[in-house]
Amino acid sequence: MTDPVEIDFELNGERAHREVPPGTVLLDMLRHDFGLKGVRGSCERGVCGACTVLLDDVPVASCSVFAFDVDGTRVDTVEGQRDGEEPGPVQQAFAECGGFQCGYCTPGMVMLTTGLLRSNPKPDPEQAREWIGSNICRCTGYQMIMDSVQRAAELTAERAGRDEAGPGAEAAGAGDGPDDGAAGAADGSDAGAAGTQERSDDGATEDRA
Amino acid sequence: VRQQMRGAGLVSPTQSALPPFRLIRAGSIPDVREALRAHPGATLAAGCSDLVAQVREGLTPHTLISVRRLPELLRAEHTDGELSLGAALTHSEGPAHPAVRQAIPSLAAAWASIATVRIRFRATVGGNLMARRYRYEMGVILGALDARMHFTGPHGDADVAVDEFVRSGAPGTPEAVDRGLLHRLTVETASLRWYSYDRSMRPVTTVAVAVRAPEAGESGGRVIATVGSEYRRPVRLSAVLPGAELTAADVRPVAARLAAGLPDWTGDYAGTADYRRHLVEVLAGRQLTAALGARP
Repeated sequence: MTDPVEIDFELNGERAHREVPPGTVLLDMLRHDFGLKGVRGSCERGVCGACTVLLDDVPVASCSVFAFDVDGTRVDTVEGQRDGEEPGPVQQAFAECGGFQCGYCTPGMVMLTTGLLRSNPKPDPEQAREWIGSNICRCTGYQMIMDSVQRAAELTAERAGRDEAGPGAEAAGAGDGPDDGAAGAADGSDAGAAGTQERSDDGATEDRA
Repeated sequence: VRQQMRGAGLVSPTQSALPPFRLIRAGSIPDVREALRAHPGATLAAGCSDLVAQVREGLTPHTLISVRRLPELLRAEHTDGELSLGAALTHSEGPAHPAVRQAIPSLAAAWASIATVRIRFRATVGGNLMARRYRYEMGVILGALDARMHFTGPHGDADVAVDEFVRSGAPGTPEAVDRGLLHRLTVETASLRWYSYDRSMRPVTTVAVAVRAPEAGESGGRVIATVGSEYRRPVRLSAVLPGAELTAADVRPVAARLAAGLPDWTGDYAGTADYRRHLVEVLAGRQLTAALGARP
């Protein structure tokens, strides 16, 4: 009656295959089957955005997407955002600008920002505000997240230029490494905040279906 | 363990565990009809962003029919004075569709303003309506346009006005079980003269206003307004404009008449009915004043 469903998809650039019960949501599959603990569960109503991943380059709440629906798609999580041995440009930007405090929402914010920059590499503050308004941060007051988005756009462009210039080129700011705590938050490591299963119904005032 | 609503009792020991169900991935509308015939009471699913929330609230589908990738549900076209919208168009795809932008630009703008960027990529217009949550805005946005919802199911086809759909049933009613698949919505555009949606006072009060050509025997146009709020279902109001050549002073009484039609039950702890009437008079008055010099 509830036979498992076979799904093939691309996960952080690698081909993935699973058999999942139909009632499995993407969040649970990523965390439990693939061990991607940077994908955070929180409201589990698609409201807070802590679980944001990219599905074919656009941000979605993985708590509200059935796993069977990612068959044939491309999924990106915060774990795939590293740039070799360095944090990726968006992670680096959040670390530099302090775009987090407790860090629980940060992987979702990083993926939201990544999706924004894939959609528009040079977002203006109004567009950045509209996108970032999709996710909830209870700590920062958002200004430092907004600063992080603008910095992420700069770093992404710099690294793209460096990549085009070849392996010998140096990017400005590449030596400005994050402090340890910042890197931990921005790469989605499942720190102590993982136990904060905060239910957030207030944002549920938004339309969806 | 949380006590769930909808009479389902204890559903899951954690928020993560969802009840099991049978999955059918439909490839066409006839497939959906057949699946509904074979599995009475099956749940239809497209974007699933609200549906997953409903399941966590206690909905226990025995069979889920995924219609997300049906091409028929992803079309939009504007022909012969009618705008047709596929029910699985997302809040991102719909407002960006050339047919919508050409037919009623202000509808595209209104549609693009709801929810959040992330939700817009996933949530669909059909799911928004079928969820029947009062706070969702498509019932207000499309209600003023007298949009119609078109269903198809094992027992035939049916259509119903958005306003009638909104007035019937309670939030969360699995209406799809009764009517079948909501596959498209239509808006008559030939008589539409102007349309706008004001959500600046959301969640207390939102107002959509459409102005249509006069019917036989009328000198002015017809005004249809839909008023929404967080905790009360949308209300459709209507009035007739007193003539063809109007000034701002002429439309103020029309806005007042619309506002006076708002029932007492629209008052709640977020705002009394009188306060909402005041808001409707102001917001509809502004919209009608703007309508004097513009087309949709």
